[in-house]
Amino acid sequence: MKINLLYNFLLPALIGGIMSSCNTEPRQSNKNDSAIVPAGKIDLTNPLSQMDKSPMDLQYFPVDYSKLKMLGKSEPMPYARVIFSRPQKNGRKIFGNVVKYDEPWRLGANEATEIEFFRDAIIQNQKIPQGRYVIYCIPQQDKWTIILNKDLFTWGLKIDRTKDVYQFEVPVVRLNAPVEVFTMEFENAKDGTNLLMGWDDVKTLLPIRF
Amino acid sequence: MKKISILGFVILFSLHVLSQDSLWPPIDNSPMDMSYFPVNYPLLKINKAADAPLVMRVIYSRPQKKDREVFGGLLEYGQVWRLGANEATEIEFFRDVKIEGNKVKKGKYSMYAIPYENKWTIILNKETDTWGAFAYDSKKDILRVDVKTEKNSGPAEVFSMVFSKTGTGANLMMTWDNVKTFLPISF
Repeated sequence: MKINLLYNFLLPALIGGIMSSCNTEPRQSNKNDSAIVPAGKIDLTNPLSQMDKSPMDLQYFPVDYSKLKMLGKSEPMPYARVIFSRPQKNGRKIFGNVVKYDEPWRLGANEATEIEFFRDAIIQNQKIPQGRYVIYCIPQQDKWTIILNKDLFTWGLKIDRTKDVYQFEVPVVRLNAPVEVFTMEFENAKDGTNLLMGWDDVKTLLPIRF
Repeated sequence: MKKISILGFVILFSLHVLSQDSLWPPIDNSPMDMSYFPVNYPLLKINKAADAPLVMRVIYSRPQKKDREVFGGLLEYGQVWRLGANEATEIEFFRDVKIEGNKVKKGKYSMYAIPYENKWTIILNKETDTWGAFAYDSKKDILRVDVKTEKNSGPAEVFSMVFSKTGTGANLMMTWDNVKTFLPISF
């Protein structure tokens, strides 16, 4: 608790807000959810355009690579990064409802989710050449099919399945406490990382080795 | 100043790691966004309406004004700013382009600005995938150009970067608080 107080108030004041504090923003009501339709990017030509309802985020492996790089404590290149958008649960049942079973889901919202490997990787004994891929999934009740696809720089609602290059099945882990905001994170693992994905009452892990 | 900032950051970063009581992080205070040129390229693409090839995209974070005076206040004039928040802003060119007569090769660059009262110095730098401007190294610059700033009629709450088509290419439009400016890019 003391740490939280220090973290929330004293240090940010001390260093003049060089980094955002961990207070969350009041959440916007989200009737027109961008998990389903491309809302939020209504008028990109207007430079005063509003923020997305499902904001984008970026995660690196090694974990916190960009901060380690700033501190001069990183290797010259990261191993992987994922760029995705973060829809929210907002009281809805997500899987089997907002996100349909057996249909492609963009693992996020808005733009198709992008994963970049800065060196060759291995997933379930399959060699994945260095490069950029769209990553999406087909959720089912007990497993997700995770798919890497080469149709880059696209919006996530229409996946061109002819450009699929690799696919993997991973089991679904049920969570007791629901996850409000869709999350993708790299976890440390032996010889690599697990890409953790979680939303509502579901968690999956894609093991990636380097 | 830079050393103090980095020290502060190290303390904060360590505490952040210690105080993480949950696996699932909240939404960032300054959320990330990306802008493409051609404008809305991913949407054009799924509607089969992309009639020109992809030229560039910028990935940046969007701090908000929140009643603060931004330029000359929150951001000191003459100091390098990361053009956003959190991770260093990244611009990627999918083909060679020209900026104010300088050839810029296809590739990813980090992007910074030094705001002054009437102009910004825009910087492209080779060191990508880093955090903010705290470890910014001018030796890795590949370009510095000055652009004039203009006053906004009303303050822009959220920092924005978007492309706008021109006769010779596109302008990268940037605005926050009472300042707007653009970087002309030709191709």
